[in-house]
Amino acid sequence: MDISILGGPILGIIPLGDIVLYFTPFNLFMFAAALAFTALIAISSTESQVEAEFGTLKNREVKVDKAEFKLRRFLAIVCGLATAGAMVTGDLFDFTLFVTLIGIVNIGIVAAVKEIDVLDAAFQYGLIAMIGTLPLFGGAALVLAATGTISLLQIVQIPYTTSLMAFGSILFFLGVAGETGVAPFFATKAEMFRTPGSPFLLIIHLSSLLVIVRTIEILLIINKPF
Amino acid sequence: MTATVLVPNVVSPVVVGLFLPAVFTGITVGLIGLLAISYQKNDLHALILTDIVGIGMLIIVASVGTDLAESLVLPGLVVELAEIMAISEILMSREIRKQGKSVELFPLPLNLDMEVLTTAPVFFAVILVAYGAFLSGFTGGAIAGGGILFYVISRIARGVPSNTWEGLAGASGIAWCLWLVGFLIFFVAPDYWLLALFLSAFGVFIKVTFKASLVGVMGREEFKKE
Repeated sequence: MDISILGGPILGIIPLGDIVLYFTPFNLFMFAAALAFTALIAISSTESQVEAEFGTLKNREVKVDKAEFKLRRFLAIVCGLATAGAMVTGDLFDFTLFVTLIGIVNIGIVAAVKEIDVLDAAFQYGLIAMIGTLPLFGGAALVLAATGTISLLQIVQIPYTTSLMAFGSILFFLGVAGETGVAPFFATKAEMFRTPGSPFLLIIHLSSLLVIVRTIEILLIINKPF
Repeated sequence: MTATVLVPNVVSPVVVGLFLPAVFTGITVGLIGLLAISYQKNDLHALILTDIVGIGMLIIVASVGTDLAESLVLPGLVVELAEIMAISEILMSREIRKQGKSVELFPLPLNLDMEVLTTAPVFFAVILVAYGAFLSGFTGGAIAGGGILFYVISRIARGVPSNTWEGLAGASGIAWCLWLVGFLIFFVAPDYWLLALFLSAFGVFIKVTFKASLVGVMGREEFKKE
């Protein structure tokens, strides 16, 4: 099987030593989407919401103070850049690192909301993300053990699929699901309370979606079902 | 099994045979950790048990045992540490917030008074620093710095003479200059490579050691309050 079946013709490669990036229209589109959304986040400001007070007819405006706003915007931008990097990398190792970076930054974005219930959700998500590192790194290591390389361009040239490769890739998918795939469920807790400045949480949804799509491409490259 | 074909002949079959047992050990450790978490209702215990799952990850990655696997071990360890520190911060800030107090950036509400805190730190610090000096280089620096950091953290509750650490900061800068001079000698006068090697190795050793212990300078703000 060829990479071009999945993502269209290869437009070019960037060889950085033994790390080789490759570009297909599929990767480039997701890369551009992640970057465009990151740029939108970088120039946006948080919404300040208006809450109705209970028992009176007055309204109350809730704002985010400047330090917290800067922190959350920084974390959201890092998350967007890591997502963009994960879209174009041609290396399982780099992809693993980008996914863990997204995971850590997601914990920070959720935990920046200083409410007890949201902190509770952030704590639970952190536990899941830590557990997720076992299948994530373990799967990458098993794929490395079965193929002898972690470069996707090399893996795609191997004509056969051993059971260890299949097992490693399934573990890898579990790891990605634990690290970023479950993030929207925990981020929803912060959104449900309509916490001030919640637009930054949207990057969690976008990164989770894009990373899962890209992971499926990597699984198809490793296992070669066609 | 096709995976073992990739292993070069110089590796003894005993080492190759250790691969599958090590993978199963790692997965078993992870499953035991998950089982314990599922029984556990206390959040702090769940956090500590999650670390066991992370150790299972390290076992799986280390079982591959190539230089590429080593490049996965180091980020895996760092990610593990970063996540457990972030989650424990979240847990602390949630618990403090539940009591209605304001949360500091570096919450240290501990006032521990255990005998092991007076006897163990000196012993561990001396052993770690001696072993780090024996290793030299970056690894040795990290180990020795870990020893000093352990000493500082376990003494914070009792109060360490704070002006010691400013001297350490200066020595760290001088050691960094030694490291640079060592590199310069490599290029300018390659005949003195032994001198350059030792300058670099011990320069970076002292530098990394003191860099880790500089956290003590940050901790000074904490014991000034007491």
